[in-house]
Amino acid sequence: MLFLPDEARSLPPPPLVNKGSVWLGFAGWTAALLDNGFNHRPVIRAGVHRQILFTTVGWFVGYFLTKHTEYIHAKRDRELFEYVKQHPEDFKATEKKRIGELLEDFHPVR
Amino acid sequence: MRTSQLLLSGSHALCSHLFPSWSFLTRSAFVARKPNYDHPNWFGVGLAFGTTAALWVLLFKHHNEDVMEYERRQKERQHKCTGCS
Repeated sequence: MLFLPDEARSLPPPPLVNKGSVWLGFAGWTAALLDNGFNHRPVIRAGVHRQILFTTVGWFVGYFLTKHTEYIHAKRDRELFEYVKQHPEDFKATEKKRIGELLEDFHPVR
Repeated sequence: MRTSQLLLSGSHALCSHLFPSWSFLTRSAFVARKPNYDHPNWFGVGLAFGTTAALWVLLFKHHNEDVMEYERRQKERQHKCTGCS
């Protein structure tokens, strides 16, 4: 692939219906509707071929954008966990205190 | 609108003594036409639908290739862990 390194293919690919695709597809459709509005055409009934084309382009771009985003996030997470693993002294889990030790003694005043 | 009209008339007044008509010196690629929706642009429609179909085909192909490659790598990783027993 042109814009992602080979290791990105080890990640599960985003499903065909994914956040980026849906949002950008919707944005493309809205752009077609706006184009209809600006040219004094009936907004949803006109230029259906244009609406479908813009939605498709948005869906297409959204898929690759989502793929890129997931790769960047996965890379960041990998580097983060590597660092945590290599510096355990900085990430010691604090011993959990029992609630009885935290509270003061209870002396009822009746 | 009124300002631009005034400007235009002003420049015309200034330069009209030089060239009464500028049209032989300038040429515009842009000619405004009122769109005529009685004759649809069938070529444009065909191009739009063709591009749409091509994009969907490309997307499906690419996605299936991705899924197959991912599953192939997962299987490879499994094989490495368990070893050839």
